[in-house]
Amino acid sequence: MKNFFKSIGNYFKEFATALAKGDIGVKLSLFVMGAGYFARKQIINGLIMIALEAVFIIACVFYAAPNLAKFGTLGTVQFEQIFDPLTMTKTVNDYDNSFLILLNSIIALFIIVAFILVYIGNIKAVYRLQQRKEAGKHINTFVEDMKAMLNEKFHITLLTLPCIGIILMNVIPILVLIAVAFTNYDQQHMPPNALFTWVGWRNFTQLFTTSTTVTFGYSFGKILVWTLEWALLATFTTFIGGILMAQLINSKRTKLPKMWRTLFMVAIAVPQFVTLMLVRNFFADTGIVNTICSNIGLTSFLKSIGLVGSHLTYIPFLTSPGWAKVMIVLINIWVGIPYQMLIATGVLMNIPVDQLESARIDGANKFQIFCKITMPYILFITGPSLITDFVKNINNFNVIYLLTQDVYVTTDQLLANSNAKEVDLLVTWLFRLTNEYYNYKMASVIGIIVFVICAAFTLLTFTQMIKGNREEDFQ
Amino acid sequence: MKKKVLATLLATSMVAACLAGCGNSGNTGDTSANNSATTDNAASNTTADNAPADNQAADNTAAPDASDPVATLIANTDGTVALKVWASEEDQTLTSNLIEEFKSEYSDVTFDITLGSESESTAKDTILTDVEAAADVFAFADDQINELVQAGALQPVATTYTYDVESENVAGAVEAATVDGTLYAYPMTADNGYFMFYDASVFTEDDVKSLETMIEVADAAGKKVAMCVSDGWYIYSFFQGAGYELTLNDDMSNTCTWNADGATDVAQAIIDLCASDAFVDMTDEQMATAITEGTVVAAVNGTWRAETASDAWGENYAATKLPTFKVAGKDCQMSSYSGYKLIGVNPHADNLGWAMLLAEYLTNEHSQAARFGERGLGPSNLAVGASSAVQEDPAIAALAEQAAFATPQRVGGNYWDPAKTLGNILAQGNPDGTDLQTLLDTAVEGITAPVQ
Amino acid sequence: MKKTIDLVVRHLFLTFLVVIWLIPILWLLVTSFSGYKGINTAHFFPQTWSLANYKALFFEPDSVVQYVAWFKNTLVIAIFTCIISTVFVLMVSYAMSCLRFKGRKELMSFGIILNMFPGVLSMIAVYFVMKSLGLTNSHLGMIIVYSAASGLGYLITKGFMDTISVSLREAAWLEGASEATIFLKIIIPLSKPMVVYTVINAFLVPWGDFVLAKLMLNSGISNDWTIAIGLYNMLNKSLINKYFSIFCAGGVIVSIPISILFVLMQKFYVEGVTGGSVKG
Repeated sequence: MKNFFKSIGNYFKEFATALAKGDIGVKLSLFVMGAGYFARKQIINGLIMIALEAVFIIACVFYAAPNLAKFGTLGTVQFEQIFDPLTMTKTVNDYDNSFLILLNSIIALFIIVAFILVYIGNIKAVYRLQQRKEAGKHINTFVEDMKAMLNEKFHITLLTLPCIGIILMNVIPILVLIAVAFTNYDQQHMPPNALFTWVGWRNFTQLFTTSTTVTFGYSFGKILVWTLEWALLATFTTFIGGILMAQLINSKRTKLPKMWRTLFMVAIAVPQFVTLMLVRNFFADTGIVNTICSNIGLTSFLKSIGLVGSHLTYIPFLTSPGWAKVMIVLINIWVGIPYQMLIATGVLMNIPVDQLESARIDGANKFQIFCKITMPYILFITGPSLITDFVKNINNFNVIYLLTQDVYVTTDQLLANSNAKEVDLLVTWLFRLTNEYYNYKMASVIGIIVFVICAAFTLLTFTQMIKGNREEDFQ
Repeated sequence: MKKKVLATLLATSMVAACLAGCGNSGNTGDTSANNSATTDNAASNTTADNAPADNQAADNTAAPDASDPVATLIANTDGTVALKVWASEEDQTLTSNLIEEFKSEYSDVTFDITLGSESESTAKDTILTDVEAAADVFAFADDQINELVQAGALQPVATTYTYDVESENVAGAVEAATVDGTLYAYPMTADNGYFMFYDASVFTEDDVKSLETMIEVADAAGKKVAMCVSDGWYIYSFFQGAGYELTLNDDMSNTCTWNADGATDVAQAIIDLCASDAFVDMTDEQMATAITEGTVVAAVNGTWRAETASDAWGENYAATKLPTFKVAGKDCQMSSYSGYKLIGVNPHADNLGWAMLLAEYLTNEHSQAARFGERGLGPSNLAVGASSAVQEDPAIAALAEQAAFATPQRVGGNYWDPAKTLGNILAQGNPDGTDLQTLLDTAVEGITAPVQ
Repeated sequence: MKKTIDLVVRHLFLTFLVVIWLIPILWLLVTSFSGYKGINTAHFFPQTWSLANYKALFFEPDSVVQYVAWFKNTLVIAIFTCIISTVFVLMVSYAMSCLRFKGRKELMSFGIILNMFPGVLSMIAVYFVMKSLGLTNSHLGMIIVYSAASGLGYLITKGFMDTISVSLREAAWLEGASEATIFLKIIIPLSKPMVVYTVINAFLVPWGDFVLAKLMLNSGISNDWTIAIGLYNMLNKSLINKYFSIFCAGGVIVSIPISILFVLMQKFYVEGVTGGSVKG
């Protein structure tokens, strides 16, 4: 943290020195960005900078300013349309669209911040040129500058496009929705017909309150618990299942390991959404599995031991909370194990044989070898992916949504009152809030919470990786 | 009065066009003739009489009279008119035929009409996500009208040009298309409600009068009676039937008396019904399969399942109003929602005028007759409804019988989830043994929750 | 003796597992050859067999089934998505792994944090961004949506590049090769398993995504759709009873290219998933 502030401090210090010690070219660059380059006869660089500045000023006047001016209120002019029945044409007033104002303002802020960075960088760059000139060093021509982009500045060439993509499709949408969490954007306030505006922390307090009519707090707690349970169960069952299955197939005593592996692979060759929707119908209340179960008497057996409610004539595989949760985990195992098996196979094939041998000579039995050598080795290799898997499972939209949408009806009235279900994960809940109820404000709040949970969890376990301790060890 | 004026204007413009009398295509004439013929009004009748004779004379190259909006619109339209239409998957063929007819009706104008598919029952979901990107003309079920109006997704039908919506459709349909006294959509069908289908080889006409009898008979035959109890749309039938109310407030929240005194008896009645092996809670699509397979011999469902049922039961296919059910020993007639399908025009349409004319075309007498003929959908148009073919259709007859006990669907969005859950709990026989009054109280709290 | 029992038990158990794993797939397959259009809930195997579903899929397009068009759309989107994504991922990975520049670690942490944000939430904003660019209801838009942010998936490939010996690059440096040359001529050929892994993953995205595609391609015109929306739509309440077995046929067909890809690339895939920690 300290380093962070230090580097920011340095950043501005350099800027200040550049300004203070810079010659006229550098100082002129404050106003005309290309000036410093012209002074060093870098005409093309100078022209590019001037063009950039011009584009920025135009963007500011025609795009950023009008949007940012309304950012505080998110618009005040309501949509109005007058229809003339005689000419059958309409006239529309110049209305404000709150969402577009929000979106454009955030894009505009991005442009401004980016420009400021370029602006400061520019001053420093021309100052460095000045220093080189004073030291009598060579000053790059434009062609040489371009060549540097493939060499010492290669990272800029590599990262520019991907970064623009990420900012456009990822960062900006996320910022917009974080902002939405502080507005009253919902079905009653939907642009273009209506305006929405800032409401501060109200939505957050609402998420943590439970009254008789507002049950978001209750639902949130319940769903959060199930989300974490699910993520743990889903991650570990498939992980361990995959290892065991890989062990089983790769064992020397198993004939035709390739054939077995391919058979399991068939299950993942079918796209996930197809298998999941298929399985949903497979286990439907009046589906084929239920027909078979009742024909062989399984339904009545389960009834007699109380696992199926006495009033039911079928097994509620995906329609009662208990059954559905178990089935979802089982189906996820079904979907996930072949993948994990594939990975585990790869890892197992590369276990250092000498370690296994020496353990065997020391008289360890199979189980001990598995626990002491195989497992730690696998964990070492796949540990990081286990953490990503856990986060992925917290956000595992497909499995839950495709298995329960249109099928599962909650029996918990308090959940129903906030449009939630027992089997919902936070992400499926927020998806239905936006998709079916247009409750964007609450969905955004939930999204932020999911983010915080995932980020906290990952930072706790992942810091080792981010620090990159390992990266140089192997190189 | 307004309509009369309009019709007169149309008539005058007709005459003017006739007088101008330079003839080639005669399309405007056709349209106006059509308009006036269907406006059912003395002034226009005269025109209608004149029209065929003068057909050739009418011409759109004549200086359009400012008082004839359609002619003005045609005259002012240059270039291609692009329109986007949404109709349900089942309606695609029919709608595209009607669109072709519409194009030839106004053959002076070049149209580029694209037809997309969007189920009437989920139209709202797609439209509300982005109203501006939604189709210009779309079909939807009437329960979505409030939310659509609120989101500004419906253009008010201030005037009509080719026929009069209010006088030519059944009153219920017009009411369903009206919000706060403003007409917002064009009624397309009047059959989006539910009633009872049954297999006449199992039940007699007397059996189907009471749900309890039906269950007994079905039980004896080893068959089942099906209804989608765990669904807000159908569970309404019991509570409304027993006299408990659910109404919509101005702010889109609901008023609901389902937890009033004695309502627990209704809840108990539903539990008792569902406890019987012969009465099953099934979703619509499961019902379709079960009917085809022969396990279900009577079902509460709507005209969209008529084909499935008549295919399965052949000449024993029959339909009637919903039966009665016993609440605390007393017979109560099951109520229902009377549903309509409407066509709406998106105010964000670029060619608003043409969108409105197309919407009118898709809902006029001719189109409704075609819709009944090809899809068996019950018309909202009075004239089509009066035809003998419609009168003889068992499903539509049953719907008409049920109409006396049906109410228009006016509910706010907070109704559906709590009601569905209530239905599910009752259908499962209240497995947690919650006190019925508490159960109803919680449901009502959810249903009546303020909209925010 | 004990060995034989072990052998039998082992193989019986495996057979049992395979049966469990393949039953739903078998159901998909047999239903796709069913003569009955809806879901047959009474019998596992169809009572009448027919090829009608496949015929409907390929030769009788209606407003619900536009399979050939969907297949084409999805293929085009998938090909471009996988080209762009692979290029992006390799570029970012190389920069993060082999180059040293100011702010590198901050960028990496930032990337990891961004990945934590639930994607389904930002979808609506992505939609409006694309709409203001006029790219909704266009396949170009879909390609951008699927591939633009793909640079974030650099982590595994970077892990792999970390394992490539630095001496290789140093040698190239000494011979006067630029960073770009090293990247193109040395690192990429060495990263073959990762390239394959990224290609497969990126290629599969458009075949499996229905949520984002449904939001972006919202004109309701079915021949603009991708396979996933089309198949998803067939199981709509009002359509499932007429189209379930066609859905199954569609599911079978879409699996064919994917399984071929999988079988061909199996070896690389394993290496890819484990971040190259496994070198066989």
